[in-house]
Amino acid sequence: MPKSWRKFLIGLALFLGAGAGVGYLYGHPDWGLLAAALLALLWHVRQLLAFDRALRTRDFEAFRFGDGIWQQIFSRFSFEHERGERHKRRYRQLLREIRKSTNAMPDGAVVVDAGNEIVMCNRAAKHLAGLKPKKDRGQRIDNILRDPAITELVQSEDMSKTVDIESPLRPGDWLNCRVVPYGADQKLLMLRDVTERLRLNRMRRDFVANASHELRSPLTVITGYLDSLAEEDIPAGWSAPVAQMMAQARRMNRIVSELLELSRLESAGRANTEAVVDVAALIASVRKAFEARNGSAEIAVDADSNTWLRGNGTQIESVITNLVSNALRHTPGEGKVAVTWRGHKNGAELIVADTGEGIAEEHIPRLTERFFRVDRGRAREEGGVGLGLAIVKHALSRHDASLQIRSVLGEGSEFRCRFPASRVTQRSEAALIGRAQSA
Amino acid sequence: MRTSNLTDHISRRFNKDIEDLRNSVLTMGGLVEAQLSRAIAAIVSGDSELGLKVANDDYKVNNLEVGIDEECSRILATRSPAASDLRLIVAIIKTITDLERIGDEAEKIGFLASQLAAMDRPSDSYRELKYLGNHVARMLRSAMDAFARLDVEASLEVVKEDDRVDEEYDAITRQCITFMMEDPRSIRRFMNVTWAARSLERIGDHAKNICEYVIYMVQGRDVRHTDTLDVSDTD
Repeated sequence: MPKSWRKFLIGLALFLGAGAGVGYLYGHPDWGLLAAALLALLWHVRQLLAFDRALRTRDFEAFRFGDGIWQQIFSRFSFEHERGERHKRRYRQLLREIRKSTNAMPDGAVVVDAGNEIVMCNRAAKHLAGLKPKKDRGQRIDNILRDPAITELVQSEDMSKTVDIESPLRPGDWLNCRVVPYGADQKLLMLRDVTERLRLNRMRRDFVANASHELRSPLTVITGYLDSLAEEDIPAGWSAPVAQMMAQARRMNRIVSELLELSRLESAGRANTEAVVDVAALIASVRKAFEARNGSAEIAVDADSNTWLRGNGTQIESVITNLVSNALRHTPGEGKVAVTWRGHKNGAELIVADTGEGIAEEHIPRLTERFFRVDRGRAREEGGVGLGLAIVKHALSRHDASLQIRSVLGEGSEFRCRFPASRVTQRSEAALIGRAQSA
Repeated sequence: MRTSNLTDHISRRFNKDIEDLRNSVLTMGGLVEAQLSRAIAAIVSGDSELGLKVANDDYKVNNLEVGIDEECSRILATRSPAASDLRLIVAIIKTITDLERIGDEAEKIGFLASQLAAMDRPSDSYRELKYLGNHVARMLRSAMDAFARLDVEASLEVVKEDDRVDEEYDAITRQCITFMMEDPRSIRRFMNVTWAARSLERIGDHAKNICEYVIYMVQGRDVRHTDTLDVSDTD
């Protein structure tokens, strides 16, 4: 039994005993006991009501000091109360810090629940996309950001997807949106302002396109005069330099036209799915073009002429030409280059494999960069520009295809282009699509 | 006990029906907004392919309209909604008509863009059409925002905005007439510009209508064909 209880019970017993004693003196101990009990009850009722009033007015002056049972109750109560307040203060502080940091984030963040309803969003989301943090709580995110791309994004299961939408507040500004899974059943929609990045990208693209275009006319003049110079009788000492100049001018011409092709590819959208390409026929014609050259490796073709591709014929031809010419350049005369085209249930594959010198593993990830060369000096001698694989990569991405490169030093390399099933069609259906187009 | 469960269940399904309906109207609104902004981009950048794509995509808007219309009739027939639910359905039926018209105007603008792309381009690449277009696109966006948030004040803002669109339209018409008088060979081109401006102006009117339906939906007051100032006074 706690000390305070013992004290309280002893005090009560003494008080009742004293009442009974006083009653005994007057000959009625029972009446005395009853009177004492009533007095004790009255006193406690008064204390109870006073405590209730103190709770309501928050004025605990009467209970603050002393060691009676009511003072004990109060001190316990105020101790618990203060502890609760302290915790609440701490949590509030923590919450404020968290909110401050999410609001300080430059990217918009919107938490949405399983039904895509907005749970909360930060200040950047308000400035970037015009969301209203308080008012829009409970609204579906795709009711506020109504761009069809957003609807598709929040409803898809694919979390790696990102889309660019135009800012609802400022036309011309672009937001990159992605969805991150978050907590149980919730999702976090991140919005990032990419206006500047897109602008820089476009500037770079425009610059390359314009510069290549501008280089073209002076080059034409130079090659023209060089050609007519070569036909004249030139002094003996000058024939080698002129031949050298012609070769370099031709090379520069090729660089310029490949740069132009690349920038055209970059600004083009996804390749049309309505047009069809007979890949087997393209491979045959590319092979014919290369076979005319002396001393190069043999080209073996295994192409399924029933599998056709939906897309852009010029771009696919450029893919095949670049891959085959790369393979030939790196394969000695007695080697072999194998071109395979086949369809399967998940799409189709174009494989160009050679028995050349192969590529070291550390170079493979960088192969599709512009002007990247494994061996600078040598590649230049053999007439490479360094843009072929970049063109291949871009043309493939316009056809939703991927490029996979495998190589073993000294044994050869394999370039595998995988096309998804949505891009593949059969010869019989291809004829139908062709007819529908001409109609 | 059983009965109360049953009614609860039915009304929850009804709630869901109404909520789905509202969502699909906003999806349709999003599609129309995208169509409009692409049509404007096609004019400004002289991209005839994009313009034709906008014109060809109009069927999506039409399909949504037909679908939502059927759903509205179904709810009216099976649930006989009353009071605010009824106002919501009525407002939705009207809203989708206006949205569909906006889609048609966007289709027209897309087609005109493809025609304008084939002609001479002015050095300012139709700046005045771009301004008017952005203005109208902003109005449409605010109208759909007001619809989503049931925001009467924002609706009133849009309704007032329409006068400024009309002014800009007048200015473009006058400018076009001047150009046509200066050089009769450009009449064909400026006729197209006038038509595009006319379509944009119509879109502004439709956005205004949608806002009036929002006010009707929230407050039950019909503010069509009234002076806007009166409308805000009664609040």
